[in-house]
Amino acid sequence: MCNPVDAAAQIVIDRVTHTYRPAYGRPVLALSDVSLHVRPREFLALLGPSGCGKSTLLYLVGGFLPTEGGRIAVDGKPVTAPGPDRGVVFQHFALFPWKTVRANILYGLERQGLPRAERMRRAQSFIDLVGLRGFEESYPSQLSGGMKQRTAIARTLAFDPAILLMDEPFGALDAQTRALMQAELLGIWQRARKTVIFVTHDVQEAVYLADRVAVMSARPGRIKAIVETRCGDRDPNIRHSREFIDKVDEIWNLVRDEAIKAQDSVAP
Amino acid sequence: MKRALIRYLPLVILALAWEGAAQLNLVSSLALPSLSHVAAAWIDLVRDGELLDNGLISIYRGVAGLVLAVIVGGGLGIAMASSRALDALLKPLVELFYPLPKSALIPVTVLWLGLGNGSKILLIFLGCMIPVTIGAYNGARGGDHALIWSARSMGAGRLRMLWDVLLPSALPELLNGVRTALALSFILLVSSELISAQRGFGYLIGYLGDTGAYAGMFAVVLTVAFLGFAADRLYQMLIQWLLRWRE
Amino acid sequence: MRSLSIVLLLVLWEALARSGKVTPFMLPPFSAVVGRIYTDAVAGQLWLNLGLTLYRALAGFFLAAGGGIVLGAAMSRVKPLRWFFDPIISVGFPMPKIAFLPIVMLWLGVYDVAKITMVVFDAIFPVVTATAAGLAAVDRELIWSARNMGAREGELMWQVALPAALPQILTGLQVALPIALIVEIVVEMAMGGYGLGGAMMNASRFADSRGVFAGIVEIAIVGYALVRTMALIRGRLLAWHHEAEHR
Repeated sequence: MCNPVDAAAQIVIDRVTHTYRPAYGRPVLALSDVSLHVRPREFLALLGPSGCGKSTLLYLVGGFLPTEGGRIAVDGKPVTAPGPDRGVVFQHFALFPWKTVRANILYGLERQGLPRAERMRRAQSFIDLVGLRGFEESYPSQLSGGMKQRTAIARTLAFDPAILLMDEPFGALDAQTRALMQAELLGIWQRARKTVIFVTHDVQEAVYLADRVAVMSARPGRIKAIVETRCGDRDPNIRHSREFIDKVDEIWNLVRDEAIKAQDSVAP
Repeated sequence: MKRALIRYLPLVILALAWEGAAQLNLVSSLALPSLSHVAAAWIDLVRDGELLDNGLISIYRGVAGLVLAVIVGGGLGIAMASSRALDALLKPLVELFYPLPKSALIPVTVLWLGLGNGSKILLIFLGCMIPVTIGAYNGARGGDHALIWSARSMGAGRLRMLWDVLLPSALPELLNGVRTALALSFILLVSSELISAQRGFGYLIGYLGDTGAYAGMFAVVLTVAFLGFAADRLYQMLIQWLLRWRE
Repeated sequence: MRSLSIVLLLVLWEALARSGKVTPFMLPPFSAVVGRIYTDAVAGQLWLNLGLTLYRALAGFFLAAGGGIVLGAAMSRVKPLRWFFDPIISVGFPMPKIAFLPIVMLWLGVYDVAKITMVVFDAIFPVVTATAAGLAAVDRELIWSARNMGAREGELMWQVALPAALPQILTGLQVALPIALIVEIVVEMAMGGYGLGGAMMNASRFADSRGVFAGIVEIAIVGYALVRTMALIRGRLLAWHHEAEHR
């Protein structure tokens, strides 16, 4: 065990099921009896093939979808609605296109009742943190994919949620930008230890970033296995180490069958 | 079927509310004759031939003007898309006439051709030409280059290319332009007949109104409104059929 | 370059008018028409008519804009409202609503109220449709983001959904404005009195062909100015939009 055993779970997901009901067509069981505990300040990756429901699980924790079967609790309280205690970062950034970078970041701060000077100061500090100094007055349409995602991350960090829910945040970026962003995210996380649930379908990304990786089965999704991937501090050159490659292999073997199953099934 | 019923139920409710309000004398029967009166008046108008006589005149005018507009406008748009010289010459003119409210042409067509069919057909022709030209132009412009090049490499001559490649890829935009022209033709037809005509739907509406036959007036108004709606729906079905090769 | 075509057209007009091939009645020389506009301007007639037409068309437009956005927004939030109005709007859209003019005249007379009502009736449809469609297309992740950051339900429409739908709403407004002008002109022609349309109709009745052509030129300029202004406003309001990047 790498993290202290006495850490009571911060997020409890208990036997959750979820059915996807489209406007036309038959309902589809997306999640089946999913149980998972997330410890405080741990970085947990949620890994699985497409369609396995990992994003759905994230949205349930976020409070965007109603919990129908099972129970989800954060800090002991059941999840009923979205809130600033669980900050979300979406794959397609979800920035307000009519607001500048600074205005986007200020949006979350405005709801916290801080005085104006304090809001501006905090916004600027997060703009600097993600390396966007000089682009405060730019609009999202003027930014590259990587810069947009950095803005999205800054926006979420700015209102200081205890928990970060990240839905394949680097999925829309090109491979080089993705690698850079992964390293940056790790750096940021090590400085401000938040609890993170990170959804991805990329095994390498999961092993690189996470303390533990929860592998999900193909639809209907359930937790197939949980693998410990990290103890102690990260080595930036970890990708080339024997340990890393072995871990990736181990997890890929778990995922492969599910990925094949997902390929063969009909799209929802 | 059931879905369509639910979808159009509000219209049925409105019709019932209309009849109810009139029967219960909630509104003056002069201002709003009951739906049943209007229906009866409609039947009378059909029976004594008034509706049909005037209707056919209007339809003739509309169709004639529209067909001319489509042929000339479509040809013009495609010509402009094919010839840079024509494009440079005519595009500024199209952009100039596009924002002109076509109803402004009503008095001048009356001035030139009086109150009869000619002025109405000319009006619809002139007014509806612009949307068709724009649709044809945009459609022809947007021709899929890959299709054109592969056709050329297979040795297609110019005329052949026009028929097999350019026309089908230009069709969607062109058909959309015609749809706009269709709606516009109704508007111009009804407007000009309301204002200055001796026959036709618009004239009939005015005549019935002037002689106080309000139930009949309502009947013809609803007939015309319905025809406009039906024409658009039928046209949409036609487009769907013509473009069935598209996903 | 583009003005060259227009200048060419005007020169052609002048030449044709003076050539003797057409009577000055059928086609008064452009110079004479300009002269007429000038005298009208000096005498104040032009400004009176222009002002009235603009006032009524714009009043109708703004009412349609406000009402249309409110109705479209309400429809997107309140399901029963959407169910009720949806067929009314989809059936009413392609109807030549100008056909209802005699009914409006019957109910509301021939003064400003009737004219503006007719404009609103016609112009509101594209606004409602565009607003409802724009709001329906708002990316749900934008809404979720806002809720995540603590936005309350009431704030979501005003702070997130409407700004996100703005491009589409503006398109609806850009369609509604020319409609407002067209309808106002027709309504003036039918009801008589002052205004650019009314003046043109009078000119037509008195065989005053210079007056008719002057009216066309004046209305063309007004139409052009309104469309350009709307485009400029759109450019300003949507400076952040990605389409601005393609400039």
